[in-house]
Amino acid sequence: MTSIAMAADASVGRRRWPTHIVVFLAPAFLVYTLFSIYPLIDTIRLSLYGADETGQQSFIGIGNFVTLLTDPNWSKPFWNAFRNNLIFFAIHMVVQTSIGLALAALLSLPRLKGAGVYRTLLFMPTMLSVVIIGFIWQLILSPLWGISKGFLAALGLGSLFAPWLGQEGTALITVSLISVWQFVGIPMILIYAALINIPDDLIDAATVDGAPPFYVFWVIRLPLVYPTLGVVSILTFVGNFNAFDLIYAMKGAQAGPNGATDILGTFFYRTFFGYQLQAGNPTMGAAVATMMLFIIMVGVLFYLFGVQRKLQHHLA
Amino acid sequence: MPMVNRRVNVNRIAVHAALIFYTLIATFPIALVLINSMKSRSAIFGDPVALPTPSTFDLIGYQQVLEKADFVLYFGNSIVVTTVSLLLVLIAGAMAAWALGEYRFKGNTLVALYMAIGIMVPIRLGTVSILKMIVGMGLINTLTALILVYTAMGLPLAILILGEFMAQIPRDLREAARCDGVSEYRIFTAVILPLIRPAVATVAVFTMVPIWNDLWFPLILASGDGKQTITLGAQQFIGQYVTNWNAVLAALSLAIAPILILYVVFSRHLVRGLTMGAVK
Amino acid sequence: MADVSLRAIKKSFGKVEILHGISLDVMDGEFVVFVGPSGCGKSTALRIIAGLEEITSGELYIGGKLVNQIPPAERGIAMVFQSYALYPHMTVYKNMAFGLKFAKTDKDAADKRVRQAAEILQLTPYLDRKPRDLSGGQRQRVAIGRAIVREPAVFLFDEPLSNLDAALRINTRIEIAKLHRQLNATTIYVTHDQVEAMTLASKIVVMNQGRVEQVGAPLELYHHPQNQFVAGFIGSPKMNFVKATVTAADASGLTVDFGEAKPMSIPFGGTTAKTGDSVTLGIRPEHLGEGAGHAMVLTGTVEAVEHLGEASYVHVRRDDGVILTARSPGDSRAEIGAKAAVSTDIAHLHLFDAQGQAFARHSKADAA
Repeated sequence: MTSIAMAADASVGRRRWPTHIVVFLAPAFLVYTLFSIYPLIDTIRLSLYGADETGQQSFIGIGNFVTLLTDPNWSKPFWNAFRNNLIFFAIHMVVQTSIGLALAALLSLPRLKGAGVYRTLLFMPTMLSVVIIGFIWQLILSPLWGISKGFLAALGLGSLFAPWLGQEGTALITVSLISVWQFVGIPMILIYAALINIPDDLIDAATVDGAPPFYVFWVIRLPLVYPTLGVVSILTFVGNFNAFDLIYAMKGAQAGPNGATDILGTFFYRTFFGYQLQAGNPTMGAAVATMMLFIIMVGVLFYLFGVQRKLQHHLA
Repeated sequence: MPMVNRRVNVNRIAVHAALIFYTLIATFPIALVLINSMKSRSAIFGDPVALPTPSTFDLIGYQQVLEKADFVLYFGNSIVVTTVSLLLVLIAGAMAAWALGEYRFKGNTLVALYMAIGIMVPIRLGTVSILKMIVGMGLINTLTALILVYTAMGLPLAILILGEFMAQIPRDLREAARCDGVSEYRIFTAVILPLIRPAVATVAVFTMVPIWNDLWFPLILASGDGKQTITLGAQQFIGQYVTNWNAVLAALSLAIAPILILYVVFSRHLVRGLTMGAVK
Repeated sequence: MADVSLRAIKKSFGKVEILHGISLDVMDGEFVVFVGPSGCGKSTALRIIAGLEEITSGELYIGGKLVNQIPPAERGIAMVFQSYALYPHMTVYKNMAFGLKFAKTDKDAADKRVRQAAEILQLTPYLDRKPRDLSGGQRQRVAIGRAIVREPAVFLFDEPLSNLDAALRINTRIEIAKLHRQLNATTIYVTHDQVEAMTLASKIVVMNQGRVEQVGAPLELYHHPQNQFVAGFIGSPKMNFVKATVTAADASGLTVDFGEAKPMSIPFGGTTAKTGDSVTLGIRPEHLGEGAGHAMVLTGTVEAVEHLGEASYVHVRRDDGVILTARSPGDSRAEIGAKAAVSTDIAHLHLFDAQGQAFARHSKADAA
């Protein structure tokens, strides 16, 4: 009797307006919409506006983008920042991923003594603020302190030392490598997690099959973490094309020398906020942000519909 | 018999050598700053790698930093911003993850996808509008502005992680509660919340670290009036006193020490949280 | 083809000793099953033979050759894992051919072997599929195929059937037995399921807590368990154990008091048992019948009756709380709660001392 009554109750409850769902969803939905999605859409809208001297904004269609891509005053720094950003990303992909992979491979060796300690220490730089890391490396590479010069000299390579951060030819590479140094923990930990999730039986089977350890790594373990490498790539891509803090901390908003370390993040900041005598330009800033959004979306969609599909087919 | 063993040992030694080598690369710069922050200026330049000795030990840098900048205040700001944001992310995130995972309703998938956009698209790119809005709300140079933005920033990933976690809670548990006539709100607070405690560590890592370390939003939304976070405060201080090595090193040490201590204490949980998140 | 010898093999993980000195001979072509409860060390023993675990002390010979330090691939073994351990990103063909790459088998010969094995295991239509597209039984066969193509002298199986459903398990069991007859290779097989052990083995090794309890042919273990552990482990339902005290002992037999009206003489003469010793009687359910029709009668209350159709198991609780299981005909009328007597022929009795070691029973001829 009671159970029938209860069942009826439940069905009535199901038909009622689901207040509880709205209550559960509302806080997250509102905050997220107001401070994340709305600003993004509004930024795209703003990018279609121009402003006159008085700050009065008016709709100008794709005018900002035309200026950005054709006016040499804008297009030159924009393409420079874009090119630098590509190099920044390429260095991360090559150096950061391979070091991360190598460390993960070593850490995931069975019965490795002290693996926990290594993991903790290796991941340490990733926990720290990019700004602080930037300053630390600035000090270390500074010719004033001379500690890096001293190190190279101790190795007999003293003549190799140069103020890498200050030279146009080496500044971008140096900054990229510092960023790699800091963030290598992320690919390391992601790949490590994927590697330790490979069943031991698979490795045992390969051992019984007579595969040498290196072969086991290249032919069994590595292919099984391809999906993770895909995730690492897209995270690196988004992070790199959105980077700002490190370069701002080390080289300032101008990203010197002579724009050698300027990437889209710093370019966006200067456009939006201005620097020195140049006044900030919110609508043009919005246009730059929209371009960055576009680049990131292209990357993400390429990953979701190209790379990830293929990887899923390859495994699962 | 010893032949194979020796081969194994040689391999093991090589593995440890490689790991120790890279561990040194990873930790040496940090150690260098901490060590030299406690030395006199001449010792910093004279022998940077040496540990401080009684004759070179000097806390002048710390003295200067604490005199010239309000680091205690910056710390307080960072702690308030980070913990309040984390709390909001956890509460709102858990509620949303529960709603999206538990109830079938029209537009469920659509809302889930909508909430996931923020995982890939950086909220930073909306800064122009965010600033306009914050100014319009009169929240410029307040910690509230930062908290609101960071909460929005942290939610998408938190919802994903908590959702994955809740999916593992046996269905029977909630069904049993429902059969007992417990309300949906009670089920959430009394059954689900206590069970997702292990996921909190993961969410905390993914939420707190980016907030604590962020420079962008403090720079743009709250860069003055004593509302600086520790990251921005250190950046401003160092920019101002570049040539004062003692002070710069002390400021850097002050900025990283608490994170380092917390990290070392909780590293087991943190790394486990990260690997757990990564498995998903 | 090869025989396998274990000589006082010990294995420790850190300070914990898992195997306490295992010695065993497996003859060429034999099908040996390691059986025991989980954690008894049987899988560790198998992994040691495979070379996947290092030996702490002792010697391991395969084909007369000391292989303690020989890597797995050079031991002439092949292993089938419980989880199948198929490489998820390779096709069935590649999975099976993988090991041949390192055995320096030339391409054509390797291809021939893989196709042959696929034929035997009815896998030919699936050679281009990936493991995820196969059913559990098919994956299992691929795992066996991968072992076959290596043409090993010794096959190692680690609980290969535990991931299959009941019906498939019986089928595969028969397939494995057939395969063993075809290939006639030495096979070592680990399982916790005594039915698998009884049906497959030419020799069973019963293990418990890192020690070998008894080695023997299936029926030998059934009829002559050397100790109470083996007696309880082999046979289903489990053997009944009844506590008893020796009241008289001489060369012709023992008289034991087992808690019924009067003590009784049983045919275990000339043993070390003395008057006053505590002993345990062992009676298999299939030797215990309803009613007082046999010489040794035990009484109690019917606790439960399970009708299986071809037989019924009647569970009788004695006054001391011990529950006896008796096998009755399918149409047993036993009623729950009723007083009941069950009885057995003393020729079927097992007897164990206080340490659980079995006393030798007179053969039927002796008793007569």
